[in-house]
Amino acid sequence: MSEMWINMGPQHPMTHGLWNLRVRIEGEIILDADPEMGYLHRGIEKISEDRHYNEIITLMDRTCYVAGIAWEHLYIQAAEQALHVTPPERAEYIRVLTEEMQRLASHIMWYAAFVQDLGLMSPFLYGMRDRDLLLDIFQSFTGGRLTYEYMRVGGVRNDLPPGTTAQVRQTMDWLMDRFVEYDRLCLGSDIFRRRCDDIGVLKANDCVTYGVTGPMLRAAGVARDLRKDRPYAVYDQLEFDVARADSADVTGRYLVRLQEMRQSVRILRQVVDWLDGHPGPVMAEHVPRWLGAPYAPIGREGYLVKRSYPKGLGFSAIEEPHGEAAAYVVNEGGEHPYRVKFRSPVFVNLSAVKKYLVGYRVADIPPILGSVDVCVGEVDR
Amino acid sequence: MATDELNQRIQQRFPDRGITVEPFEGLAGRVLFPPAAALELFRFLRDDRSFHHLSFVAGVDWKSEREVVYALWSDTERDYLLLSTRVDASDPHLESATSVWPSANWHEREAWEMVGIRFDHHPDLRHLLMPDGYEFHPLLRSFKLHEPEELEVKVRHV
Repeated sequence: MSEMWINMGPQHPMTHGLWNLRVRIEGEIILDADPEMGYLHRGIEKISEDRHYNEIITLMDRTCYVAGIAWEHLYIQAAEQALHVTPPERAEYIRVLTEEMQRLASHIMWYAAFVQDLGLMSPFLYGMRDRDLLLDIFQSFTGGRLTYEYMRVGGVRNDLPPGTTAQVRQTMDWLMDRFVEYDRLCLGSDIFRRRCDDIGVLKANDCVTYGVTGPMLRAAGVARDLRKDRPYAVYDQLEFDVARADSADVTGRYLVRLQEMRQSVRILRQVVDWLDGHPGPVMAEHVPRWLGAPYAPIGREGYLVKRSYPKGLGFSAIEEPHGEAAAYVVNEGGEHPYRVKFRSPVFVNLSAVKKYLVGYRVADIPPILGSVDVCVGEVDR
Repeated sequence: MATDELNQRIQQRFPDRGITVEPFEGLAGRVLFPPAAALELFRFLRDDRSFHHLSFVAGVDWKSEREVVYALWSDTERDYLLLSTRVDASDPHLESATSVWPSANWHEREAWEMVGIRFDHHPDLRHLLMPDGYEFHPLLRSFKLHEPEELEVKVRHV
């Protein structure tokens, strides 16, 4: 049989977003792969050049629509470094609380979508049900379920309302029992194992060469996690283990994410204990008030007040649910950042797609790309 | 890793090449280097200083010059390092880092289409996020999203 190129996408259930995977096949075997990106490019880095520092937070939620608050955390750390602002400790703990809840919500969403790619319908419904409980908590203190706009340069917008920590504890207990069910549904299923074992293998040295990070790297046996290796916020005060597996295949990535969710529960329990015992401010003092103001304030004599601020560079990197995300902010003293750059983990993980697709069959594509956890919003930005 | 130590090693290895290392809060430092030293410096940092992971490549437009920023990560040092070089805007080109870090591929494609910096010896320098044949480089400062509003006010510096 002769070779041919086929398009999987831009509208295909496997893509989880809008992108086109072109694969060259002979019979059932994949010989080459070439992703075409850009269908969801909104120019977030460009729009950011025209916005005030706090207005960019709105864009961050839309960068990755399943892990919005993790991206807020990433951006806000870089912006604070560029603007020379330090947030209070309670705000840092609340940020960790939101980031870990977001990791849980993102991984559960991944679980739901991934098993549906394999044709298992009921785990999808269970996953969506459990994710909703986390979104309820988010809604109780940010007002949003998907796009939160919660963090600010210098802290967070508001403190947690009474009862949130109790709600978190209750939800964590519920989730820990559900993870056992998830495992029973997937790892206990012969069909699941036959479809996922030993496919999409990407070994540790290939991961490092192609810059692949996150659960894909940890599934290959490398325990790199920025929360542990380069603790930001208050992660150095929390106890948790880095999840890893050795098989480097789709099942390995499943195991890593399930383990990671259990570690997130462990972190969240410590965070809510700390939050209960340490009330305090959630916003730094002396944050320039114009940071969030859409219009320039008018001075005493009706003059437009020229804003100036010391120049600075900001860099931050976090362990986002999908892998290593980094931000670089150039502050040239104006009211808008001069340049903002975001490193998306999925962008890099997808650039190595040829490496972990070639040699497998067409029917293996949905489970392999499902295990990558593609979020096109953050790839295209 | 102390910034001073890195600076010492670099000066030993590349004397009089115009490479300087400045401190950067929270990171191993920020290395400023001339474009001609790119590949040698990359190989040195990867092989001798264990910076095996390239995090990103970003282009910044400074009107008369264009800056290329590289972020590296080392598993043994557990630290990031920023590299920065500037090329002239009249003919912005630079040696590609793909021969040292294959992961630079898509980052450089993006930097080329967004900021217009050409990467020599790049294996596959074509559009990534923009459609084929797109003529502009959107992240240049001259690419305006809208005309600036004209305000009839006097400006007072505070």
